[in-house]
Amino acid sequence: MNKVELAKFKGYAASNVLAFVLIGLNKLLLHDANVLIYAEFVIIPMLMGVMYAWFTRKYGMRTKTLAWASCVNCFIAIVLSAVFLREGIICLFIVSPLLLCFILLGGLLGRHMFRRDNNTLNISIISLMLLAFVADSLSTHHYENEVTDTMVVKAPPAEVWKYVVAYKRNTSPNKYWLFKAGMPSPVESTVEGYYLGARRKCIFSNGYVFDEKIVTYDEGKNLTFDVTHQPRDPEIMGHIDILRGQFLLKDNGNGTTTLVGNSWYRLYVFPVWYYDLWAQSITRNVHLRVMEHIKQLSETR
Amino acid sequence: MFLFTIKYFGFLKFVPGLPVVFDAWLKIYTLLTRPMLLDWIDDIETHMRKLPSVTAHNHKYGGLQFDRHKTEIGHIHSNGLLDMLLTRKIKAELMRQGLITDHHSFKNTGWISFYIRNEDDVRYALKLLRLGYDRIGERGRKLAQDFNKLFKQKTGKTPIEFRSN
Repeated sequence: MNKVELAKFKGYAASNVLAFVLIGLNKLLLHDANVLIYAEFVIIPMLMGVMYAWFTRKYGMRTKTLAWASCVNCFIAIVLSAVFLREGIICLFIVSPLLLCFILLGGLLGRHMFRRDNNTLNISIISLMLLAFVADSLSTHHYENEVTDTMVVKAPPAEVWKYVVAYKRNTSPNKYWLFKAGMPSPVESTVEGYYLGARRKCIFSNGYVFDEKIVTYDEGKNLTFDVTHQPRDPEIMGHIDILRGQFLLKDNGNGTTTLVGNSWYRLYVFPVWYYDLWAQSITRNVHLRVMEHIKQLSETR
Repeated sequence: MFLFTIKYFGFLKFVPGLPVVFDAWLKIYTLLTRPMLLDWIDDIETHMRKLPSVTAHNHKYGGLQFDRHKTEIGHIHSNGLLDMLLTRKIKAELMRQGLITDHHSFKNTGWISFYIRNEDDVRYALKLLRLGYDRIGERGRKLAQDFNKLFKQKTGKTPIEFRSN
């Protein structure tokens, strides 16, 4: 192994060791160990990039080489996360653009820092990043949001209502690319009775069951249910909690019904400007899958 | 993709740090589609840094910016798009020759856009940047001359004579 290759190898090894030490430290500092925060997805990858740039600083890395190295570093980090942190494939796929971007930015920042060779400035930048890491780790992270979707069903509310509370198994093919990629999608809903307080179950394609309790039962108008228990797995389900679901039915007066689906969820992954885009997209497609099934059942009389 | 993002999500450029993140993703996209472009941008940077008083740093809306005496010469986005400010007269002449295009956002100004697609384009981009570099130099010289003239009218001395006294 020549000197450049050795430096690269040391860069990969040191940056990944640093990342795992900081993730461990973060778990000690965090209030809620299930939460994955901004520091883990932004600051740690940037520090990984800076660390790699430090090991390769003598060899004048060009942007293309640095970008490839960032891809390799990101791939190593993802494989290690799958093995040691037991993260799921889809989850890691979602996180990879964020990791790659900040590892590359860290590498570019590091290259710039070590070109200037100003130790005071370098120590200041690293200290600021570590300070931001500790501050973010000690902060409280709580984020909840709501997604709403609307659909017109060519059937009166009384007909639609039959399938809103419970519906038989959905065997139609998935349209959403993440469902096609293996992410579980809702397929069936069962209920113990048509009354307030009844237990409802939402069954997913991989067998996961969400236990729900009906908290508003206004026949033909409003069905609201709280999610009382949901599975935790290494994929998306471990990082988002669906708190409440709701179906609102509005009689359009012409034999059609406007069906509104609402979901409230809590995110356990930050930064929200990135993950909430995914959470909204996934929740929306869960809605659409269920609502399209209800529409199909209601319109086939 | 770049123009689509600029057109529909351009307003997000005011979110601090977001343009830098976007440019990093653009770098990754370029790495996968046209990796040589990253080397060409490095070559342009190396060449520009050799010119006196030139500094290179991140552009506020993503990309690599070149300055002469803190005045922007131009910037290159990571998809190879060179944006720079020329005079309207020079721009009109270059556009007549079909060598450059109107700036992707600022129409009817001196701003121009030029896509770097091959090694010939790298040479032409350097010519354009040199043009911008000289233009700033000339403007700086003219400003200095005007200042010296005004200074002498007010004080009866040139700034150098004034300092040495």
